[in-house]
Formats: sequence, structure tokens, C-alpha cells
Amino acid sequence: MKVKSNPFYAAHRLAFCAIISVLIFSAGCTSIKLIADYDEVIDSSVTEFQKNMETHLIKLERNIGTDDASHENNIDFYDEARVELSSIRVRAAAILKNELTLTQIELLIQNLENLEKIHELGIAANDIPPLRNAFNTGTTAILKLELAKKRGIEVEE
Amino acid sequence: MTDIDLSDLVANMLSAAGDSLKDKWPESKDYAESEFKKIGETIIFISQEVLAGRMSEEKTKLHLEMQKNSSKMVLLTLEGLGLLAVEAAINAALKVVSDTVNSAIGFALL
Repeated sequence: MKVKSNPFYAAHRLAFCAIISVLIFSAGCTSIKLIADYDEVIDSSVTEFQKNMETHLIKLERNIGTDDASHENNIDFYDEARVELSSIRVRAAAILKNELTLTQIELLIQNLENLEKIHELGIAANDIPPLRNAFNTGTTAILKLELAKKRGIEVEE
Repeated sequence: MTDIDLSDLVANMLSAAGDSLKDKWPESKDYAESEFKKIGETIIFISQEVLAGRMSEEKTKLHLEMQKNSSKMVLLTLEGLGLLAVEAAINAALKVVSDTVNSAIGFALL
């Protein structure tokens, strides 16, 4: 009884209670999320986009100098690719804490627009390597981040 | 136009990215190094085509813009990997708090 009335022990008990309260409060949310969860649709859609882009570049490479490689004969590809990326963008925007992926998709859309401008100027063999690198690097970056969002699961290189 | 040194270019890109990401840098370095090397090689390829007169100024600008966008996409991935690392560290600390409190009170409160 004597101990309880001691101001030193009273202060100690108060500090102990305060620490426990802070711990309980902070642990109340037993885990936090700073970035969105993995999204399978974004993963598969970006993978599909990369496949379509690579097919497009291979066809252009094979047909350079012919009508098949002209911009006019490839307008359908650009229209479809725009729709594809627009749909991925909408999906990415609908997911909370997904700003990084959203910005990446917007940069991919800009790269698609730049590709079409280059195509309008007339595609040449020496355009293909930098175009392939730009799209492969970009899609790899998006997929690497998306797969890392699985958290705790090893991402295959 | 002076020659571009690939190793200098990649080293400078890595240094700039590393400064921004600080302690989260080591685990992302291999990925960044590999991607910046490819981007560096592509920029050198473009500059060689320009010097040889095989690529117009208009096209060169568009190609460089695309490489710049791809570099930004790599940096955004590095930022995301950094956030995931911080998140994992915070959650590990919160788990210690939860385990300690549960163990002290003798039942699973948290």
C-alpha cells in the first residue's frame, strides 16, 4: 500500500500505461500498406500488350520498304493498342495507392504515341532496336513492380 | 558531337538513382544496372545513327523521348520496390509489438 502512494512509482505506472496505450494503438493496425496489391488483370494485360507490340515490331522489321510496313496499313494496330492501354489505365486508376503503376501506364501510352509519330515519318530498319528497347524496358518495369506487389513471394527475373 | 562513354553514362545514372533511393538501394541495384545499361547502349546507337546521317533530327527527338520515358518507368519501379521494403520493415516492427503485448497479457489481444 505504501508503494502505491509513492509519487515515483505512480509516475512509473503512468508511463507504463502510456507506453502500452501507444503500443496497442500502433499495433491496432497490425499491418500497413504503402502501395497497392498485386492485380492479375494488369499483369496479364501488360504481358499481352508486350506480346502484341513485339509481333508488330517483328512484322515491321520483316516488311520494311513494302506497303505492309506503311503507317496507313497499320492504323488498326495503333487504334487497338490505344484501346488496350486505355483500358489498363482505367483499371490502374481504380486501384487505391496505385499512382506509380498509373504513371507508368501513362508513360507507356506516350511511348505508343511517339512510335506512331515515328511510323508516320517512315519506319526504317535502324528505328527498330531503340523502339524494341523502349517497349521492353517499359513493360518489364511495370511487370516487375506488379509482381513485387505480391509481397513475400520471390519474383522471378 | 563527342563520343558517349557507356560505362560513364551507366555509372552516372546509377549514382543519381542510388542517391535518391539511399538505404533501399542495394536490393534494386542489379535490376537498375541491367536496365540502365540497355538504355545507355540504345542512346549510343541513336547517336551513332545521327552522326552517320542515317536518322533525322525529328526522329531522334522522338526516340530519345521514348528512352527517357522508359528510364522514368524504371525509376518508378525502383521507387515502388523501396516503398515495399519500408512497408515490410514497418509491418515487421508492428508484429513485434503485437507479439510482445499478446505474450505479456497471455492471450491474443492484437
